[in-house]
Amino acid sequence: MGANSGSVFDRSRRRRSLGLSAAAILAALATAGTVWPAQAASLKVAIVADALTLDPIASSDNPSIWTELLIFDQLVRPSKSGTELEPGLAEKWTVSPGGLEYTFTLRDAKFANGEPVTADDVLYSLQRAAGEKSDWARFFKPITKYTVLDAKTIKFNLDKPFTPLLNNLAMFSASILPKKEVEAKGEDFFQAPFGSGPFTVKSWSHGEKIVLAKNPNYWQAGKPAVDEAEIQVIAEDNSRVLKLKAGEVDAIVGIPFNQVSQLKSDPELNVGVANVFRIELVQLNTTKKPFDDERVRQALNYAVDKDALVKGVLRGNGQAAATALPIMAYHNEDLKPYPHDVEKAKALLKAAGYENGFKASMLVQAGDVTYRQVASALQSNLKDIGVDLQLQGIESSSQFSTTKSGNFEMSLSYASSDTIDPDQIIGFTSINPERANAFHTQWKDERVNALYDQERRTLDGPERGAMFKEMETRVHDGAPFIFLYHQGMPYASRKNVEGFAVLPTSNYRLEDVVVK
Amino acid sequence: MVLLKFTAGRLLQLIPVLFVITLIAFLLLRVLPGDPATLILGSRGTPEDIARLTTQLGLDRPLWQQYLGFLGDMLRGSFGQSIAYRTAVGPLILERLWATLALVGLSTVFAVAMTVPFALMAALHKGGVVDHVIKVFFVMMMSMPAFWLGVLLVLLLSIAFPIFPVSGFGEGVMDRLYHLFLPSFIIALGTAALTIRSLRSSLIDVLKADYIDTALAKGLRSRRVLLAHVLRNSLISTISVLGVHTSWVIGGTVVIESVFAIPGLGYLLLSSISARDYPMVQGLTVTFAVLVVTINLITDIAYAVADPRVKLS
Repeated sequence: MGANSGSVFDRSRRRRSLGLSAAAILAALATAGTVWPAQAASLKVAIVADALTLDPIASSDNPSIWTELLIFDQLVRPSKSGTELEPGLAEKWTVSPGGLEYTFTLRDAKFANGEPVTADDVLYSLQRAAGEKSDWARFFKPITKYTVLDAKTIKFNLDKPFTPLLNNLAMFSASILPKKEVEAKGEDFFQAPFGSGPFTVKSWSHGEKIVLAKNPNYWQAGKPAVDEAEIQVIAEDNSRVLKLKAGEVDAIVGIPFNQVSQLKSDPELNVGVANVFRIELVQLNTTKKPFDDERVRQALNYAVDKDALVKGVLRGNGQAAATALPIMAYHNEDLKPYPHDVEKAKALLKAAGYENGFKASMLVQAGDVTYRQVASALQSNLKDIGVDLQLQGIESSSQFSTTKSGNFEMSLSYASSDTIDPDQIIGFTSINPERANAFHTQWKDERVNALYDQERRTLDGPERGAMFKEMETRVHDGAPFIFLYHQGMPYASRKNVEGFAVLPTSNYRLEDVVVK
Repeated sequence: MVLLKFTAGRLLQLIPVLFVITLIAFLLLRVLPGDPATLILGSRGTPEDIARLTTQLGLDRPLWQQYLGFLGDMLRGSFGQSIAYRTAVGPLILERLWATLALVGLSTVFAVAMTVPFALMAALHKGGVVDHVIKVFFVMMMSMPAFWLGVLLVLLLSIAFPIFPVSGFGEGVMDRLYHLFLPSFIIALGTAALTIRSLRSSLIDVLKADYIDTALAKGLRSRRVLLAHVLRNSLISTISVLGVHTSWVIGGTVVIESVFAIPGLGYLLLSSISARDYPMVQGLTVTFAVLVVTINLITDIAYAVADPRVKLS
């Protein structure tokens, strides 16, 4: 029993009705395609994640920082090359010979609402940055006294010299805010903040985009060249690249390394690779055997073929590293990366009493393709000297607290600098205790600690530079890390966009961008 | 009236469910290694900075106090301050809720639109070429990772033949629907793969039933028999498959959201877990729980509509 379905029902009719609905859908799509895509005349930039907050004293993620730098000015700012400071809101400044007194003269700048920027705003903003609610207070605490001399002049006094201060004043957290507005609106101000920078926030759809409008009162005449800049969030790397190719955005930041050369050959695109202040390394827990032995740590450095990593993983978009300092001011150019020398590595291991190698485990951030590639390359490199490396996947958010607790042998990680002065990153990676016990390696070198202390009290110049160079050399020799490479940050824009570039500080200045 | 009473009863049941879910979410989060203050300050913070921020975030209080605080916030209709975003959790979730609802809603519509005709074709040609083609096609679609299928379809339909936008969420209702078309379609392919199989086998069973022969013998038009008798009687099991799968889709759209840059709840949940943004994850857990209960409610009502023998009680 049962129906023979095929013969009972009228097939042709059914097919026709299906065909009809398919045609209707297609027709609807075709209209959709021609009518709806919005074409606003603005610069659209796609980045990997959304800004979390636009309050400079509560920010620590890159998207927030990059956006704040488009909205707010600081007294001074890094030059585009990231090698020196240039005037920002302050058109000039003087530092007293002893380094205890800083005097800043403000330029004639206005906030986006037309109000002039005064020394009172500077006082308010910096005291806020050094205050109880600030995550960045430590950077400004060395200022012990503020004196407003007149509407355009402000003087800071220090109890003892602190040379990195000027650089700290160039950080996003030292942004100059409109005092009246922030006091009147409180936290709400930061939902749509404005400052004296090139852009103001027009709208913010969390997780989707921030639309920035040109600040009509910006102090640099004729800038920005665009009326609007849209910072879009495209988390997926491939989608970001495709979006640029399709012309839906004008520029993107962050390109998978294996797609860089292919994009470079696209005649519609300009591709660049920024040498950002960043270093990839493997932390070695120097409190654990066998990593307590300097020779073992050096042997690991000799065993790793860094050039092969740069070629294979970064596809040439970076360079091998000699120490834990990015290539920035005062970097010791004479220092060369540990060469790939298996025999030397073996000899060092033998001298340390590990002729037959050893077993070790390395934390690797789970789910990250680049790190996984690097980890397996390290595994095979270290096998050549008899070291059996076990990879231990770890969620990125747990990695830092795990190494902090000291519960690790090796950990594949990176460090980056917020300022153009090496003080911040060297304090993090190489000084023990300071902030992080030499990035959790527990490595301690009294000479490096002493130099760090001295460098902070020495006026900027060649003498201070020499201290950094010596510190760098000692870190290189002491090898608390396997120094891997400095990885570039690839970015791209369409041919009709001029002047889009990621800076060594890894942000971008959209006021200089022209869309044709 | 019956419907109202039924709905009210269901909502009452929601209370203990929410209580248990919030407790589990709360405790699980605290078990995870990594604390918010260390994550926020990272390389920049001294131990003192981290201690200060922990106090500021209220995370140095005993766990029971934190949990009671969270329940209090929830009863007041907010979920407290987000740790990562430094602003109220409620509005941030609400802002993204619509994207997720639109994505889930549209994909369900597409799934149903594909299921009915394809299941009918497959059932009517049981064992034939059409049946096999449909089966193989949807199994293939379901087996492909969503991000890969997404990128492939974008390459085809946005780059090679620029019909759809590559990604984004658009402006205004129509533009948003247009932007949501491809991502919803991809989710729908996965759903349809399940519902087509389910509906096909029910259809085959029902087609064998005596009352279908009776209906045909009465001289009813075959089309009417197919839609009014065969299809309606086959729907029950497919409705439950669809309900269960839709609940899953609500939390499982992360990949599609990130491929198509849609500001939905899935991606927010993922990034909030990474940031150990406790209040945000708790708020999202409650939101997901409410959505899943709502879908179950809709599923039960759909049973009653499809089959008058089912009583809402």
